[in-house]
Amino acid sequence: MTTAAEAADPAVPIPALSRAPSARSGVRAVRWGLVKLALAILVLVAAASVTFFAQLLVPGDRATTILNQQTGRAQLWSAADLAPVNHQFGFDRPLAVQYVDYVSGLFRGDLGTSYTQHKPVTEVIGAQIVPSLVLTVAALVTAWVLSLVVILVTVKRRRFVTAIGSTWEALTASLPPYWIGVVLLVVFAVELRVFPVIGGTGVAGTVLPVLTLALPLAGFLGQVTRDEFEKVLDQPFITTARTRGMSDTGVRLKHALRHSVLPAVTLSGWALGSLLSGAVIAENVFGRPGIGQVLVVAVNTRDVPTVSGIVLVVAGVYVIANLLVDLAYVLIDSRLRAS
Amino acid sequence: MTRFTRARLVAVGSGALLFSSLLAGCGADAPATGAGAGTGTKVQGGTIIYGHEQEPPCLYGGWLQQAYIDRNILDSLVTEADDGSIKPWLATDWKVSDDGLTYTFTLKPGVKFTDGTALDAQAVADNFAYWEKGGNSTAQVSIDPYFASAKALDTTHLQVTLNKPYLPLLTMLTQGYFGIQSPTALKRSDKENCEQPIGSGAFKVKEWKHGQELILVKNPDYTSWPATAKHQGPAIVDEVDWKFLLDPVARYASLTTGESNVIYDVPTVNWKDAQAKFEVQQYITPGKPVSIYMNTIKGVFTDKLVRQAFAYGADRKSAVEAGFHGVIPYENNPSVSQSTPGYNPEVAKAYPYDTAKANQLLDQAGWTTRDSAGYRTKDGKQLEVRFAFPAGSVMTGEGSTVLQILQQQWKQVGFNVELIPETQAETFSGKYSSPDSYDAQPWYWTSPSAAILWIVWRPSTKDSPNYNNSSFYDNDELGTVIQQGNSAATTEEANKFYGQAQQIIQDNAAAVGLYTQTSSIAVAKNLHDVWLEKSQGEPVFSDAYFTK
Repeated sequence: MTTAAEAADPAVPIPALSRAPSARSGVRAVRWGLVKLALAILVLVAAASVTFFAQLLVPGDRATTILNQQTGRAQLWSAADLAPVNHQFGFDRPLAVQYVDYVSGLFRGDLGTSYTQHKPVTEVIGAQIVPSLVLTVAALVTAWVLSLVVILVTVKRRRFVTAIGSTWEALTASLPPYWIGVVLLVVFAVELRVFPVIGGTGVAGTVLPVLTLALPLAGFLGQVTRDEFEKVLDQPFITTARTRGMSDTGVRLKHALRHSVLPAVTLSGWALGSLLSGAVIAENVFGRPGIGQVLVVAVNTRDVPTVSGIVLVVAGVYVIANLLVDLAYVLIDSRLRAS
Repeated sequence: MTRFTRARLVAVGSGALLFSSLLAGCGADAPATGAGAGTGTKVQGGTIIYGHEQEPPCLYGGWLQQAYIDRNILDSLVTEADDGSIKPWLATDWKVSDDGLTYTFTLKPGVKFTDGTALDAQAVADNFAYWEKGGNSTAQVSIDPYFASAKALDTTHLQVTLNKPYLPLLTMLTQGYFGIQSPTALKRSDKENCEQPIGSGAFKVKEWKHGQELILVKNPDYTSWPATAKHQGPAIVDEVDWKFLLDPVARYASLTTGESNVIYDVPTVNWKDAQAKFEVQQYITPGKPVSIYMNTIKGVFTDKLVRQAFAYGADRKSAVEAGFHGVIPYENNPSVSQSTPGYNPEVAKAYPYDTAKANQLLDQAGWTTRDSAGYRTKDGKQLEVRFAFPAGSVMTGEGSTVLQILQQQWKQVGFNVELIPETQAETFSGKYSSPDSYDAQPWYWTSPSAAILWIVWRPSTKDSPNYNNSSFYDNDELGTVIQQGNSAATTEEANKFYGQAQQIIQDNAAAVGLYTQTSSIAVAKNLHDVWLEKSQGEPVFSDAYFTK
């Protein structure tokens, strides 16, 4: 009786129940974790494999590309010219052998050796990953802050203010990042001299690249959140909160926001991976190192191990990001904690 | 990914144009850094920030981008003076046998590589062996098939033997690809040789931050400067920070804000502004200019009359002037550019813009009818030209503009020119290298000598196919004339043959001229004696100094 009454009593927080783990739920959690881990590994190997084969299916062979790249030419080569290159890089082995070799290497943490830089791909990526992650995470955080500020200030205000907010979002979401980058460069680095033109990896040099990536993303996140936010503000529980005498700001921050950010949280998982691989524009404009430009160069030169390695890293970031998104859901929506 | 890359390149091109005026405006407000300081006192030391463009995958190799760097860390046997004469560098003297087959070089004694290895005749012989083995394919193709062997006679005497006389040998050796590396260092792994080539030059590699910059530091023990150096002794500055700034707007902006002291490849839209504020140097690269190879063995251009009509059919000169804002010279000689020794200026007078002539040639070739779109047809087939071009690498955004202008003009005389932008990956993969894949394709090849004619137009044989000839144009007479030039006894005689070869190529319209491959630098006014060497325009920093 008492148990039933407790369960029915809304005063008892449901999460408290789930925080008292039984032996069975512990096993379930471990199993859940193992399944997630196995799936993650599967996703990573699949991503690397697809990239590996996709690159081999592109017309033209790798030895030709390597020779043309070394000489800055675009021509065919004789079998005698190609043979030593094929041998050096192991292209003369059967494709299946090359693939098995590559995948088994992945499990040993060996991503292969770059065709063009002659060093392990782990080193190529390792040297560039930190500035990339800094740029990516900073851009995502900035985009969130920008979009939330615009949402909180402009949704369901006077028609004029609301219009400014939604126009701003539509505009920034549709601006090409290169254009944003160059405008920021000309205005803040050349005209006002607030930030350096050659960014490098310092704090001052990171501001403009971060804004270049964050502005369009902020517009995009803002657009999805705005629709949700408008809907939520019409919900009965908002009216209830207002009738309890809660201030407008309080209602927006405490109630409406929590209910309307879920779509944007979902998108953030995607945005994180996309920012990481698409950072090349910000990197090029501001002379900043990072895996974005390494990826573009590697694709251009058909440096198969490097491209596959970066795809692997980006896929890994997607996996982690989606895990974080799942966790964020639970934190935001307390109903999910029970299940 | 490919589509993305292409979109980016297009964006870069249009963006550069969009913002150029804005940038010029900004620069005008700001005090130009170092302007007017040209007469200050000379400073010892300092760091030159050099805003370069592309970053090569390795520091040593057969690509021009690598030669630019190698010129500053490696020394060569000989160098080329501005008048085209060959001057001493590591070799203080040389003798050529009467039959032109044996070159005996006397080396400067006591020179050491920065790893302590002695730079003696054996070390140089080892480098020749390394090039021939494929260590540098551009070096290899520059001396093939003339080179026979190199051997050390004693520590300071090197003997190079040829199969056939090869007059341009010394000129070819002046290119950065022939920089001498420490044989001890060459025995290291590929990775180490890629990251840190060891030479005896004025600078050595301190650190290479990939995707960002290459830091070169002064070699304090430098003793082996070339005869063309502007000062005697080690480098005056302590360091050169060779930054990779791909974006043209950012590169020029870095110079206007004083964040860099020198930049490579001044955007042509900023050319006038740069001339006013900085010291600007333009280098017209010798060798094959940017000219259009015509596929002579497959498709519409197998007919010489059609090729000639293509050359007459568009105002290439005006298109080049418009596309490059009048900064980069038009070049109507398709095989050798105007800065190359042995250039035949008569050849450049052929094929002026003449639509009547083009129409007449096409009529004569049997392309007499036109379809509803206005393109000429013959036996129901349209006069279609698949015009592939390496977008972003060989053809910049401005070069693409030139092609678009020409496309409209060719349409008037009845050609349907389909412009096919190639991504870099496609270019390098050889997708547009076979006779089946294109009708026309522009390309250039830098070289300090008209001997480039041999590299490009050498007749293809079964044993030794010539894949460099992207027109697939085989002409035995042409091959013979070029060889006579290469093996001539005197420069005058050689140039006579080279001139004849250029005439044959032009008469047969095996290629159509466009513009010269041109590079440039802009230098802040408080920095002096940065210069571009003669063979390929490699920037030289060992003589440079700042003034206060």
